[in-house]
Amino acid sequence: MGKSIARKEDPRFLRGKGRYVDDVILPNMLYMSILRSPYAHARIRRIDTSAALAAPGVKLVLTGEDLAKMNLAWMPTLNGDQQMVLAVDKVLFQYQEVAAVVAETRAQAEDALQLIEVDYEPLPVVVDPFKALEPDAPILREDREKKSNHIWHWESGDREETENVFRDAPVVVKQDVRFQRVHPSPLEPCGCVADYNTATGRLTFYVTSQAPHVHRTVIAMLSGIPEHQIRVISPDVGGGFGNKVGVYPGYVCAVAASVKLGVPVKWIETRTENIASTSFARDFHMTCEIAAREDGKVLGLRVKTIADHGAFDAAANPTKFPAGLFNIVTGSYDFKAAFVEVDAVYTNKAPGGVAYRCSFRVTEAAYLIERTMDVLAQRLKMDPAELRFRNFIRKEQFPYKSPTGWVYDSGDYEKTLKLALERIGYDELRKEQAEKRARGEFMGIGISTFTEIVGGGPKNTFDILGIKMFDSAEIRIHPTGKVIARLGVRHQGQGHETTFAQIIAEELGLSADDVLIEEGDTDTAPYGLGTYASRSTPTAGAAAALCARRIREKARKIAAHLLEVGEDDVVWDGTAFSAKGLPGKSVTMKDVAFAAYTDVPDGVEPGLEATYYYDPPNLTFPHGAYIAVVDIDKGTGAVKVRRFLAVDDCGNVINPMIVEGQVHGGLTEGFAIAFMQDIPYDSNGNCLAPNWMDYLVPTALDTPHWETDRTVTPSPHHPIGAKGVGESPNVGSPAAFVNAVVDALSPLGVEHIDMPLYPWKIWEILRKHGINE
Amino acid sequence: MLKYGGEYTIKLPREEVWNFITDPHKVVPCIPDLIESNIEGDNRFQAIVKVGLGPIRGKFKLDCELSPIEPGTAMAMPIKGGGMGSGVEMNANVKLSDTDNGTLLKWECEATISGPIASLGGRLIDNQAKKIIQQVFENLEKAFASV
Repeated sequence: MGKSIARKEDPRFLRGKGRYVDDVILPNMLYMSILRSPYAHARIRRIDTSAALAAPGVKLVLTGEDLAKMNLAWMPTLNGDQQMVLAVDKVLFQYQEVAAVVAETRAQAEDALQLIEVDYEPLPVVVDPFKALEPDAPILREDREKKSNHIWHWESGDREETENVFRDAPVVVKQDVRFQRVHPSPLEPCGCVADYNTATGRLTFYVTSQAPHVHRTVIAMLSGIPEHQIRVISPDVGGGFGNKVGVYPGYVCAVAASVKLGVPVKWIETRTENIASTSFARDFHMTCEIAAREDGKVLGLRVKTIADHGAFDAAANPTKFPAGLFNIVTGSYDFKAAFVEVDAVYTNKAPGGVAYRCSFRVTEAAYLIERTMDVLAQRLKMDPAELRFRNFIRKEQFPYKSPTGWVYDSGDYEKTLKLALERIGYDELRKEQAEKRARGEFMGIGISTFTEIVGGGPKNTFDILGIKMFDSAEIRIHPTGKVIARLGVRHQGQGHETTFAQIIAEELGLSADDVLIEEGDTDTAPYGLGTYASRSTPTAGAAAALCARRIREKARKIAAHLLEVGEDDVVWDGTAFSAKGLPGKSVTMKDVAFAAYTDVPDGVEPGLEATYYYDPPNLTFPHGAYIAVVDIDKGTGAVKVRRFLAVDDCGNVINPMIVEGQVHGGLTEGFAIAFMQDIPYDSNGNCLAPNWMDYLVPTALDTPHWETDRTVTPSPHHPIGAKGVGESPNVGSPAAFVNAVVDALSPLGVEHIDMPLYPWKIWEILRKHGINE
Repeated sequence: MLKYGGEYTIKLPREEVWNFITDPHKVVPCIPDLIESNIEGDNRFQAIVKVGLGPIRGKFKLDCELSPIEPGTAMAMPIKGGGMGSGVEMNANVKLSDTDNGTLLKWECEATISGPIASLGGRLIDNQAKKIIQQVFENLEKAFASV
């Protein structure tokens, strides 16, 4: 552990030997394509599929009516709502699924889509969540009992105490902050192959899944096929970032088509389908107020948020947290009181709301508090680093109970920010900035010191569809000492095959080369809740370590037998068992493994394997301090990120290279969100960025150089002290970028700019202030 | 919502212009990139036209109606249709008035576009629409010249 060994999975990825869903080709397989609505809100008067059915190669056309006969017209979402599989009576967002065509080739299926005639009667479109809440707004969801576009109201913290703090506070700042609608946009879009065997009644379902076991349970609940008769295989997955947690209508249609036709049916999304119809992220309209003393000490926090959930509430959040973990919005600071409220709203936009590379809305929370802390610093004319030092939760306060109820396990925020300031040369940069300002140039330094909340999660509060969010590992050691370990999580490129092999190897005194990690096949892997919310290392990593320790306990019995001493006299030194007081005599795990199949003592069961289901006692709270240095071009408004330093603290590190890779990836995504990504809709509900021409993904040329460093504050309750890191850079970095740009423009009185920071937005601000006439 | 408009002087008396623009048999041939048409009566017709917007290429099926508001002076022309998974709705208004040397034709058009054309071709629509309008008037000009 703690070593940067090369990733075991890379040879197959680098040589093009990975196997993704679209690589699955089965005998007699058919191809499915989906007809989507051009309208954001319209009544469907008639669907005529006859011409499509008569088209060459077409085997089946499915409409909502057909699915209704199979009791599949609606499906449950992950968040207690229900969603149309194929539109019935009306469509609620552009690109909504209306019909599916199954044909011998994909081209035939696509061509036949054009032959389906749908008679739409356009209805008034609601794209603005604030307008959706007005009393005369058209009701979008006529299927719901509640005749309103308001979905739910949720609050956290103490309203009264917070009001009191605000009433007496000498300083109050208030800022409206929008976190725009973005999309995880994994390199590989979603897709599946459904293979129903009419003779055995077995369904084999290949799918791009972050949570194969959950998908199996949902498919069993929906289709009526018994769960043990369903095998979900999630092969190599080309990126997930939250996009591959949900169940999408295409999956349901592919299963229904395979059951009807008795042959395998493949459905692979296009890029446009992926961006325009599968789960988006964010889309929060937030108002934040901080009450503080004149010296900058913060007292109270008040947050009001409107969450635009689109046409169906399909957000992937644990059911007890409708707004996810957004109430970590007090961040790294010691607030006396806080009150947070969120209202979710239906609009005519694509449904979803995933925790795109974050633990259930922590990104929105971190962005909001880090942005508003800078607004406070600017108002008080105080250095933003100094303001943070004055307000950090101190090292000795951990475990720290936040005013919204979270118990932070450990952290040393001061140390992390100090390291970051030293490494970036903060004081010199501020001097340089002052000189540049005197010359009329715009340079900015942005700081973000965030606290993440990962490892979902403890069974008393965390679940998906009621299934508790534990995770699992199963380890088998074979006679020659070689290990196969299977886990309930499913990686999408994070390097589990290496990370978990390192954990298990460390616990068993073996080499990581001796351990094969398998995930993603529900026939073999123990039940697990999947990989998202940076939960793999905090939950499955813990399960792997504890499972290995369980094996070690049995191995001790066998070792005692081999060493011919009592069990209590056996010591494990990390590499081998030896007998107390008998130097020179030891047996390795490999010796024990062979004996487990050849020479076990009486009363001990042969074999050497174990399973462990880990229910974490608490979440883990990684943190970080990020600093961005930017220069703004006065002529064009373009921002150049000159330097970016990320100091992360994710507890004990298993493979530093993998952690660094995760940080680089997350920073690049955070950079994209800050500067170039948004999914806007026009007033007719047309999605204006459903492709990579309009929804920009940064290339290596766009991406700044990343500098990284780390501090280590182990989690006190995690078996190996690890915390999880994958999302931290995406959670922490947008605020650093925006803080830097606002800092650069602060001489003009600018206190906030909403993302994305397109050059034209900055150019307009400069122009408004008479710069660059 | 897209809005276009303009005006155009025709060296013909107003009555002749009016008779021309209210006759589907005369209007239909002026539609650019027309593949197929079907005149359903005195004032209704269907047209299938070729559409090409950046990466999107295909056919649009349009239903049009020529509906006089004030005979000899004002006409509305609602157009509805679509294709390739996209929809289009247009409301065109034409007004005629006398000038010294003929007739002044003033027109306005509001269009709502939905589907991939609006999303993918969104930023290309404006130029393409202007090109089509220009073609319509070139065709009209030729047609009037032969009246």
